[in-house]
Amino acid sequence: MNVLKVSRWTIAAFILPCLIVYVGLVFVPILVSLYSGMLDWNGIGKSTFVGFHNYVKMFTHDSVFWPSVRRTFTLAGFSMLVQVPIALFVAVLITRFVRRPNFLVSSYFLPVILSVAIIGQLWKTIYNPASMGGMINGILTSLGLESWTHSWLTEPKIAIYSIILVSLWQYLGYHILIQFTGIQNIPSEIYEAAKIDGADGFKADRYITLPMVLPILKISIVLSFIGSLQSFDLIMVMTGGGPAHATEVLASHMYNMSFITMKYGYGSAIANVLIAMCLIATVLINALFNRLDKRYS
Amino acid sequence: MTKRKMKWFGMAMTGVLAFSLSACGGGGSGTTNNASGDGGKTEPAANASTDSSKPAENITITFQNIYPDASDPKNQMMKKIVDAYEKEHPNVKIELDSLNTDQQKLKLKTQAASKEVPDITVVNPAAQMQPFVDADLFAPLNDMVEQNGLKDTFQSGILDYYTFDGNLYALPDGNNIGVVYYNKKLMEEGGVKVPTTFEEMLEAVKTLKGKGIQPMVIGEKDSWTGSFLFMNILLRTNGGPGFLKDVLDGKKTFEDPAYVAAIKAFEDLVQAGAFQDGATSFDYNAGENLFKTGKAAMYYMGSWATGGIETAEVSKDGNVGVFQFPTVGGKGNPDEFMLAPGSAFAISKDSEHLQETKDFLNYFMLNFPKEAFEAKGAVGIAQNVDGDFKAAGYSDMAMNVLDLFKKVKGGDLAFDNTMNPGTTQAHLSGTQSLFVEQKDPAEVAKELQAAYEDNK
Repeated sequence: MNVLKVSRWTIAAFILPCLIVYVGLVFVPILVSLYSGMLDWNGIGKSTFVGFHNYVKMFTHDSVFWPSVRRTFTLAGFSMLVQVPIALFVAVLITRFVRRPNFLVSSYFLPVILSVAIIGQLWKTIYNPASMGGMINGILTSLGLESWTHSWLTEPKIAIYSIILVSLWQYLGYHILIQFTGIQNIPSEIYEAAKIDGADGFKADRYITLPMVLPILKISIVLSFIGSLQSFDLIMVMTGGGPAHATEVLASHMYNMSFITMKYGYGSAIANVLIAMCLIATVLINALFNRLDKRYS
Repeated sequence: MTKRKMKWFGMAMTGVLAFSLSACGGGGSGTTNNASGDGGKTEPAANASTDSSKPAENITITFQNIYPDASDPKNQMMKKIVDAYEKEHPNVKIELDSLNTDQQKLKLKTQAASKEVPDITVVNPAAQMQPFVDADLFAPLNDMVEQNGLKDTFQSGILDYYTFDGNLYALPDGNNIGVVYYNKKLMEEGGVKVPTTFEEMLEAVKTLKGKGIQPMVIGEKDSWTGSFLFMNILLRTNGGPGFLKDVLDGKKTFEDPAYVAAIKAFEDLVQAGAFQDGATSFDYNAGENLFKTGKAAMYYMGSWATGGIETAEVSKDGNVGVFQFPTVGGKGNPDEFMLAPGSAFAISKDSEHLQETKDFLNYFMLNFPKEAFEAKGAVGIAQNVDGDFKAAGYSDMAMNVLDLFKKVKGGDLAFDNTMNPGTTQAHLSGTQSLFVEQKDPAEVAKELQAAYEDNK
């Protein structure tokens, strides 16, 4: 601080506007929702204070809540354990084998900038029954694999995986871009030195790229986890949480409860659980990576 | 037309946490801008003439509505009436807030939470508007509806659905019934006749299916569509209207044989292969489009769909007919219909210009039937229409629908107009689940009863 030679008050004055906006848009709503999570309230009329009743009901009585949690974590799991590693692998391959990678990376990134509504409609058409021109079922049929055809979005057991696949496909490019940038930032001298020592190809990746890209990988993992917890739009567009709650995740359950079923208080309680999960997960992921960091440094 | 729920794509923001999400109400929001843009243009003119003639105060009335589609006759009609009113009352500016149905519902709920209801807004009848009335958000219109004989233009009894404790709170733009549209050509190809009983309907479904013709279509992603059909079956198995009311009065439960029988019949229909594959991923528009493009033989929907089907490809050469939903198991009277009193205009109690707003809405509703008739949108409006439909060029199908209206001898309202939102959601997802797996009807009924007691 003293290096800057400005008084603390000046610093405070410059930070203040941003701080106020941040507190006003993030912390105040969270506090309000903590309060409204304890109300029995339809969002319009009078409300009654019910304490933790909403939470008790959520954890013990709500037949949709736990399956939604499970699906949310399934999505997060696929995203962190499948999508991010694939993205890293692709990023490594691009760095190594592609001379002008920009075009390729941009193409992978393309789905990210498309509106989810468009992606949802696109994939709905792809998943359609063959009689409605669905591409996947059409291909399966023409290969003589009729028994493999499904109505991908309406069979309760597989519908959520069909959506997860779309989600993975859409954000793969996002993570490739992040990893790719991370790898690019590793100084080439290290690789040259390693080459002299006999570490080349995938060996170099194992002992240089992976440890060096770890902080970036952490960002990717945290982003994909939080993104999965918040996943909502794709599900709304593709199935609306149906059939019969089979593709409901926490965020869509919260939305349905708050605005469709008009239990605003209960919806807020779900939102609070979601916030808590995000916080806990972020802390856990941070701790995990700190350990990994120590091991490699 | 009126109560139709145009689900383009999911658009939403989730309240306090403000997870804002991408929207694609392209057509909707675009028109909104146009609409308010037009309003803006008329303002200078209004000011100018006010200065010279009357010293009246300049006021702006916000008119929230669900006619966002500029190609929809309702939208053109609304603009026409609004323009005429603004010419007559240079000091009044009507600002249009045109949204599609789902956006409007969400917006109103958000506005209601902060007590910022627009001067005029749109609500749905009976149980759906109850929370708003309980929150004391709307102005009673008892005096206004008497002015200029507006009350007498409405069909008898229709205003009851918008009346609470003797106070009328909203004026409906529509009144519809549930009917079955059918594609004459496909029915002929399949060699089936218009069914007069539910059992014949099942047979027809199987015959059509056997010949590779899609028997029926439905947009079950919007689960109210299946519920609407289901409720019509219930209206028959119950031997008449009033089942839900009996449940509310504690005289019956959802485990009543009539309700279980209705689930059974509905399951039979689904299991017979009546509906298209993947029905639960088709939204309302997508489902209806299958019928409109001639891909299905039958389509159960409210008569608000008449306009859209009439102008579609499939209706060429009078190819589409309508019939009443048949009896189920020999029970029920086909002259009892699913009734769908439409969405309705309500006025905010806290409106800054309450009197002017009332005057405008009075004018609007008085001119509504005439303009609707001219725009060929008068099938299924809530007011009486003077005029010869046939001579005005309405299609045979529209005439058929109008004839069915004359047969109506009572009926039931949709589930969500009778029950609270919590029970409604349980019912909707229960009905939707019948599309994807075969369940024990008694079990489904039991679950709903539990949800009902939970939400009481």
